[in-house]
Amino acid sequence: MSALAPTAVLAASSAVPFAVLPALVLVPAVGALLVACLPRRRPELLKLAAVTTSVVVGGMAVWLLSGFDVDHGADLQFVSSATWMADLGISWTLGVDGISLFLVVLTGVLFPIALLAVDPGHDDRAYYAWLLLLEAGVMGVFLALDLMVFFLCFEVVLVPMYFLIGRWGHGNRAYAATKFFLYTMAGSALMLVGILALAFLHADAVGGPVTFDLVAIAEAQAVDATAARWIFAAFALAFAVKVPIFPLHTWLPDAHTEAPTAGSVILAGVLLKLGTYGFLRFGLYLFPEASHFFAPVFLTLGVVGIVYGAVVATMQRDLKRLVAYSSVAHLGFIVLGTFALNTEGIEGGLLQMVNHGVSTGALFLLVGMVYERRHTRQIDELGGLQKSAPVLAGVFTVVMLSSIGLPGLNGFVGEFLVLVGAFNAHRWFAVVAAGGVILAALYLLWAYQRVFHGPAEGDNATMPDLRLREGLVLAPLLALIVFMGVYPKPVIERMEPAVDALVAHVEHHVDGFTEPTSQFGSEVEPGHGDDDGHGESDDHGDDH
Amino acid sequence: MLAVATPEVLWWALLPVLFLSVGGLLLLTVASLVRRLPDWLPQAWTVVTGLAVLVACVPMWCEVRDEGPRTTLAGSVAVDGSTVLVTAVLAAVVVAVALLARPYLRREDLPGVEVYVLLMLSAAGGVVMASADDLIVLFLGLEILSIAVYVLAALHLRRIESQEGAMKYFVLGAFASAFLLYGMALVYGATGSTRLALVAEHLSATVLVDDSMLLAGIALLLVGLAFKVAAVPFHAWTPDVYQGSPTPVVAWMAAGVKAAGFAAMVRVLVTSLGTHASDWAPPVGVLAVASVLVGAVVAVLQTDVRRMLAYSSVAHAGFLLLGVQAADADGTAAVYAYLVVYALLATGSFAVLTVMGGDGDAAHHLDDYRGLARRRPVLAGAFTLLLLGQAGVPFTGGFVAKLGVLAAAVADRGYWVAGLAMLGAAAAAFVYLRILVSMYLEDPDAEAADGSTGPAVPLGARVVIGVACAGVLFVGLVPGPLLDLARDAVPVLVGS
Amino acid sequence: MLGQYLPVVVLLILAFLFAALSFVASRLLAPRRPHDRKAAPYECGIIPGRETPERFPVRFFLVAMIFIVFDIEIVFLYPWAVAHGGLGLFGLVAVLLFSLAVFESFVYLIGNGALEWGPVRRVRHAVSPARTSTSTIRRAGVREVGLEGRTIGDESGRAA
Repeated sequence: MSALAPTAVLAASSAVPFAVLPALVLVPAVGALLVACLPRRRPELLKLAAVTTSVVVGGMAVWLLSGFDVDHGADLQFVSSATWMADLGISWTLGVDGISLFLVVLTGVLFPIALLAVDPGHDDRAYYAWLLLLEAGVMGVFLALDLMVFFLCFEVVLVPMYFLIGRWGHGNRAYAATKFFLYTMAGSALMLVGILALAFLHADAVGGPVTFDLVAIAEAQAVDATAARWIFAAFALAFAVKVPIFPLHTWLPDAHTEAPTAGSVILAGVLLKLGTYGFLRFGLYLFPEASHFFAPVFLTLGVVGIVYGAVVATMQRDLKRLVAYSSVAHLGFIVLGTFALNTEGIEGGLLQMVNHGVSTGALFLLVGMVYERRHTRQIDELGGLQKSAPVLAGVFTVVMLSSIGLPGLNGFVGEFLVLVGAFNAHRWFAVVAAGGVILAALYLLWAYQRVFHGPAEGDNATMPDLRLREGLVLAPLLALIVFMGVYPKPVIERMEPAVDALVAHVEHHVDGFTEPTSQFGSEVEPGHGDDDGHGESDDHGDDH
Repeated sequence: MLAVATPEVLWWALLPVLFLSVGGLLLLTVASLVRRLPDWLPQAWTVVTGLAVLVACVPMWCEVRDEGPRTTLAGSVAVDGSTVLVTAVLAAVVVAVALLARPYLRREDLPGVEVYVLLMLSAAGGVVMASADDLIVLFLGLEILSIAVYVLAALHLRRIESQEGAMKYFVLGAFASAFLLYGMALVYGATGSTRLALVAEHLSATVLVDDSMLLAGIALLLVGLAFKVAAVPFHAWTPDVYQGSPTPVVAWMAAGVKAAGFAAMVRVLVTSLGTHASDWAPPVGVLAVASVLVGAVVAVLQTDVRRMLAYSSVAHAGFLLLGVQAADADGTAAVYAYLVVYALLATGSFAVLTVMGGDGDAAHHLDDYRGLARRRPVLAGAFTLLLLGQAGVPFTGGFVAKLGVLAAAVADRGYWVAGLAMLGAAAAAFVYLRILVSMYLEDPDAEAADGSTGPAVPLGARVVIGVACAGVLFVGLVPGPLLDLARDAVPVLVGS
Repeated sequence: MLGQYLPVVVLLILAFLFAALSFVASRLLAPRRPHDRKAAPYECGIIPGRETPERFPVRFFLVAMIFIVFDIEIVFLYPWAVAHGGLGLFGLVAVLLFSLAVFESFVYLIGNGALEWGPVRRVRHAVSPARTSTSTIRRAGVREVGLEGRTIGDESGRAA
């Protein structure tokens, strides 16, 4: 019976020459295995193998972008499926749509950069193997269309990350790694029960065999409302820890600060999105009614996160910790946008996920570079770096401004859309959140001023500037920052149909709920009443 | 003249018991008569016997699958998938323990042959227990299994903990046996038979006006069996015994005794007393949750790795009970799958502990594992895999096992039980993480760091650890075959 | 029907009463002048010169246990002998197997010198001379309790 046979069935929807989605998961996993078999004492060979693997994966991810059918952005594309545990109706079903597409691409792009940018220093073989395994897990999460496969990947990601933080981290790494693992594991413990309960209740209600198929369960909406709310709560807890949402965020600063640079980049860039992506795909889509019911809670927590993250970031003395807390604020924006439950909000949140991955990833790289040169991250001990390292300072400025949300750079687009969405839905939340934007400018500019301006003394005066390799690593991120700030249309037009369909799905399944749209005019088109949420919406390709 | 009908005997079905008991007795005789036996001989003999049982299981499995389950010896022994599967597990564990035992005995300078003999006899008892279709036979198997294990626990002559643990195990075990026996008597009183099939027949055919005797009997049976499988609150002996006994023997206790105990429990409770599931399932659910929570939380407080694993085995027993309390075929199948996976995990883990124990079997403190990753990367890696498996991380057998019992519980609407058990699992993860932290994240002591390469890993231990790791990974990635096996093994009642 | 047990019950009560009365009476009537000699354990009037609980060879227990082994065999053989006609060949084979297993344990005991009463024979699995019980126990990290009541000289002498 079931086996992980290479019999993945290609969906008819797309003309792909090979099963690209399984490859996205399998190639890094096989790469990890390959790296684990290479001789331990050849770091350059190990690095070559690891980078090659991740570049291949990145290439496939980018190729996915071109193969993606923009006209059918709301549809799941490249779908492939293989039975795994027949008894329980679990199968490896993978697919992308406009919501997951850019997260997959982001993952594909960030991993080679993280691999290239930093050398582990010791135990190279295990380091590269774990990173590649991590990539496989993350890809699995973003691509999974089967609840159980999603959970598997969601959980398995913890193990490589635990070892990356614990073995190659700084300072209090054992504590940070353990805290990270336990928080997320405890968070997702109940999600497994939730998934099982959902599948069984669905099977009971529909009368069919047990299935964990996301689309089947979400489209049927057969589970009664009370049960759905409980199950949503179990899911939400797991995602809220992963995001992390305000009161559950305490693992994040520790994990980010103690992680090695590559770990921080991946953690901030990709791993935090597992939670926000989960909210979209497995929260809103699976439980529209419950999401709507609980939305005020998450809106409140999102706003609290924005303000709290910003205030605490301001107080930090450690540059890396400051960036970590800025993540709490940024993710607050994403949560706010998601639970605004309208097209602008969700789209902004989605865009912000990508932006945050690029900007904060780049920020962590830069902080890592500073640390590598000065062996300290204490803001007090740094100063006047602008003189000794002008290029580094320049790059830092651009990235920082993108993180603040300066118009013309990528951060602005996402934040603006989120605020518009939130304003249309719940005006006061948006007003408070906008205050968070100002705070972001405060802490980042202040930190920049303290680190790069002023007189340079001691080692600060002689700090070497950006090397060519580092510049090359940062270049693609800078290009993305500018490109997405100036011309976000190609991104948005691929996201929009899927987001519209999602909003329509929520509208359809929640009694008396209509998408909250602008009260001032009709510059933004209201959500359209598609019946099944997965019907077509070709007319939305070029709204922007 | 008293005329007694002699029962029919299916000899092929008794082959495993015969192999194990005759093998054990032969070895004992030879060792008694021959003054100086080379120390590889008893080991090789035990391994061969275990493998012979494994081989014998294959045609038995096919026979049972094709021709259906049946009973023999006047309906007192069941010949079905459950019997064969558990027999195979027990035989495999016997082989593994025998492989671990020789280097251990040599290192600890202990006399040799008794371990193997007792191991085989204990396994014979386990097979009888797993195949018992009659309460008396069940008790017989349980006693053969237990008494041998009591002696095995005391085998390390020079460690006072070994004696202490064995004493506790013996006293409490005798106590539990008494409970079990009393429970059997009450069940007999209530139903008029000790044969499981007849008990079930009686219970489904008649409505008891006053079922208090039956309920008391079930409760006492439950107490006796819960003691054997180390479920809270009958787990008090576990940490002391696991800490004191020779480590290879602990592997047998964790993997073998537990498997036999659960096989018996499933047969008695689910198969025979299934009509009264509404009476016994809730208490079993409580035991399950208590075991998982207590096992996980108390394990966190330990600093001795063997005690940690002892408490984690209590937590595993809780998960297994989760499958039992579902009281249906799905739950039972999940229990069997769990047993197989746990046998792999426990044998592998205690194999690592055997190696790590060092001279005197004493180096089991968490600090002794510091920096193991640097000294013995492969051993540390294997232990990591096994611990992650125990934690139930995806793509290891541990996850498949936990998923099965959880699914059975949830399908049964046991949301609370399942939820609490999962929280316990998350707490248990901390236990395994502590060991990982020690191995990977802490630097070895100055003393250990200079040039010491850590303990030597004997060939036998390599084989055991390797097979266990491969099995855990295989089940994690391709769970289909195991789940099929487990489903086929679910016992059904065969009428008289 | 239960009436026939009445005498037993009466006897029980009487025995209990008699014992209780005797104790009470001696407590009430006897003069009480305790001193050291009187408080010491009674050893046929001789004043004890050393600690009383003395070890005696474990072989006494072994003999007792061997006796139990055969005792058990008899317990099972007796009913078989009564019913052997009905049990036939099956019963004979079964009881033979059973006897064989019992005899097996006897062989084991003999093989391990359980009945050798002469001077202490050579230990079969001698401990290396470097390892005295003290050193081994220390190294094994055993609690000091383990040394209580153990004549260390005894074992190390055997090991040497």
